[in-house]
Amino acid sequence: MNKFMEFLENILLPIADKLNNNRYLTALRDGFMVSLPLIIFGSIFVVIANLPFLDKVLSEETYAVYQNALAPASESTLSIMGLFVIVGIAYKLTKYYDGEAVYGGVVALASFLILIPQTLEGVAGVIPASSLGAQGLFVGIFTAFISAELYHYFANKNFTIKMPPGVPEAVSRSFSALIPISLTLSIFLIIRIIFSFTHFETVQNFIFTVIQGPLTKLGSGLGATIFAILLIQIFWFFGLHGQVIINSVFDPIWFALNDQNLQAFQSGQELPNVITKQFVDTFLVGMGGSGMTLAVIILIFLIGRSRQTRELGRLGGPSGIFNVNEPIIFGLPIIMNPLIFIPWLLAPVIVTIITYFVMSIGLVPKPAGIIVPWTTPIGLSGFLATGNSWRGAVLQIFNLLVVMGVWWPFLKILDKSYYEKEKKQVV
Amino acid sequence: MKRILLACSSGMSTSLLVSKMKEIAKLRNLKVEIWAVGNEKVDTDMEKADVLFIGPQMRFLKKKLDKKADKLGIHIEVIDSIAYGRVDGEAVLNRALELIH
Repeated sequence: MNKFMEFLENILLPIADKLNNNRYLTALRDGFMVSLPLIIFGSIFVVIANLPFLDKVLSEETYAVYQNALAPASESTLSIMGLFVIVGIAYKLTKYYDGEAVYGGVVALASFLILIPQTLEGVAGVIPASSLGAQGLFVGIFTAFISAELYHYFANKNFTIKMPPGVPEAVSRSFSALIPISLTLSIFLIIRIIFSFTHFETVQNFIFTVIQGPLTKLGSGLGATIFAILLIQIFWFFGLHGQVIINSVFDPIWFALNDQNLQAFQSGQELPNVITKQFVDTFLVGMGGSGMTLAVIILIFLIGRSRQTRELGRLGGPSGIFNVNEPIIFGLPIIMNPLIFIPWLLAPVIVTIITYFVMSIGLVPKPAGIIVPWTTPIGLSGFLATGNSWRGAVLQIFNLLVVMGVWWPFLKILDKSYYEKEKKQVV
Repeated sequence: MKRILLACSSGMSTSLLVSKMKEIAKLRNLKVEIWAVGNEKVDTDMEKADVLFIGPQMRFLKKKLDKKADKLGIHIEVIDSIAYGRVDGEAVLNRALELIH
């Protein structure tokens, strides 16, 4: 068994290393991180605008005025998150190359604007807000990568205008950025013109049809989600941070699906997707951390007899409420523990299937596209993520009981072995 | 003043350890600065540190940061996973002081 574990770790560690240290994936993850405070700000106001019972207390007219007054908060942040992600990615990537990061950021922004449609239903001088959100997310990510690379490439060629000594640094810096920026943007303009002759008309449409559409469709399925969840759990089993590694690949898909739901939620239409960023963050990770270990902590208090598990429960309990569970993962330990391998993989898969099923048949509302910080405690997070529905909270509690059921026999065996060891030591 | 930096994915779980380490440092009247950061800030914050500890779940960061740590002449180490699970501030603090000397 030990040999086999060692063998697996030798495979997984390099994968984790490659995925986490890849400069594009790092920039992507950090880019999302940059936009996160804005996204959460917008989410808070979606929640406030859709408080339960408010539509019953207020007249229809007052309610509409109230919602309209708050709408810009989310429409300028959450709904157009693509913009911030693009700037964040290009900024981080340029910084990685030790370039002028702020120029890298704005060049990517301009490149992206060059690529997207600038008319809406025949009206010129308009940028469709939908292009700045989920629909433009993939084209935005590619644009950020490519423009940052081009800017870096041109800036490193000696095309830059060198100023004589004595010219203030800021002045010479603005000039030195001019040529690389112009060349980069020209390339994007040419790309736009070329695509206008194809039947896709815009690059955004091309990327959306050829890449984003198929990928999000695949990612919105139960199979792909279980696959991602299993990978996260397996990485964690070897003591490697599963989310950090897997999310950098899945986040673009999950956020795009999330945004489709948000748009539907805000215009009062039926939500298209069950699987979204929040499906994973709230209904899987948001129950005490990866592997839903809040259930394990509760079980420890219910059936734990050994000193070791009970101490761990006290140690990991408070942080577990806020979904930080490293003490449990390393302390129980979950890592490399053959006995725990079964519930560790089984419980999240069962919860994924249950949650997917009850949301598909409409028993519990689908995630509304609101981004809830992952440290939000269980119950509250489920309520918020489903667009202020108590059913979301109830589902979380139900799932928690399911996880406890799956873990019960395994924790009992583990606890018993600790208990007996402790008894021997005392004697 | 000795500066000890801890890093993990978002600086959450390492901050648990940081508060334990601070408690013990205070008891012993040690002059230390101990803080935790997330993945994206390690690179800049390590310039201000004497020693850098990485949470075991992020141990793949070490390879990337080794070069910079070498250049800065600071120690870099992955926290022992048993000490991490026990949130054993004393063990990590002792190890830090050992490395700085």
